[in-house]
Amino acid sequence: MRIQVFAVLKTFFKKEFELKARINTIAELRTHLRVVNPDAAAVLELCRFAVQDEFVTDQYILTGNEHIVVIPPSSGG
Amino acid sequence: MSISLSFHQAAEVNMDFITKKEIDLVALLQKSHCPSAGAVVLFSGEVRNHNIGKSVRYLEYEAHTNMATKMIAEILLAARNRWSLSIAFAQHRIGKVKVTESAVVVITASVHRGEAYASNRYIIDRIKHEVPIWKCEHFADGTKEWGGNCNCAKDTGDVNKHLYEFESV
Repeated sequence: MRIQVFAVLKTFFKKEFELKARINTIAELRTHLRVVNPDAAAVLELCRFAVQDEFVTDQYILTGNEHIVVIPPSSGG
Repeated sequence: MSISLSFHQAAEVNMDFITKKEIDLVALLQKSHCPSAGAVVLFSGEVRNHNIGKSVRYLEYEAHTNMATKMIAEILLAARNRWSLSIAFAQHRIGKVKVTESAVVVITASVHRGEAYASNRYIIDRIKHEVPIWKCEHFADGTKEWGGNCNCAKDTGDVNKHLYEFESV
């Protein structure tokens, strides 16, 4: 699966990267990213996730071929 | 991605909801007059020279443009339907935005001012809380910080539930 991150998450991860690990749900992905980089734990808790540009819940099932966007809390305006 | 809105007369103006170009407030306002509307409200969110006690040089915005464009379109449509607006438009800038420049504009027009004010507040609040746009503050001391983000989840316990300012007015 391909992971894309934005804003503050770019200080913890590459802007876009491929993830080969066996990850079944968005909840597992959140945990995986937290383990990879514990410094990002606090912001990851507040992130939304999108698959193919649509928001998904933590229960969303992943097949491994998705493009997943990790979206930190908004700060526009 | 550009969307032409039948409920805004400004089809020939730069109508991108997300833009890298300087926001032309005057041009947008000039195109926002409507025979059926007795009230036009234009809100411009502008970069100020200070935040959290520090001097700000400029802000840098980034967005997930596809998602942000779709979400702004949905928010505008919701506002238009809720308040029967003649015009509902919003544009957010990305990239480097200097002090006093507009980072975001929201224009609403309606029969009477109450609807124009209320809907304008609704649109900007939802954009700030929900739409994937982020600011990085560049301070005069050379430091920078991603910040000013929505903290609602700390109170609501849900990243999709927000405490909107327009609901507390």
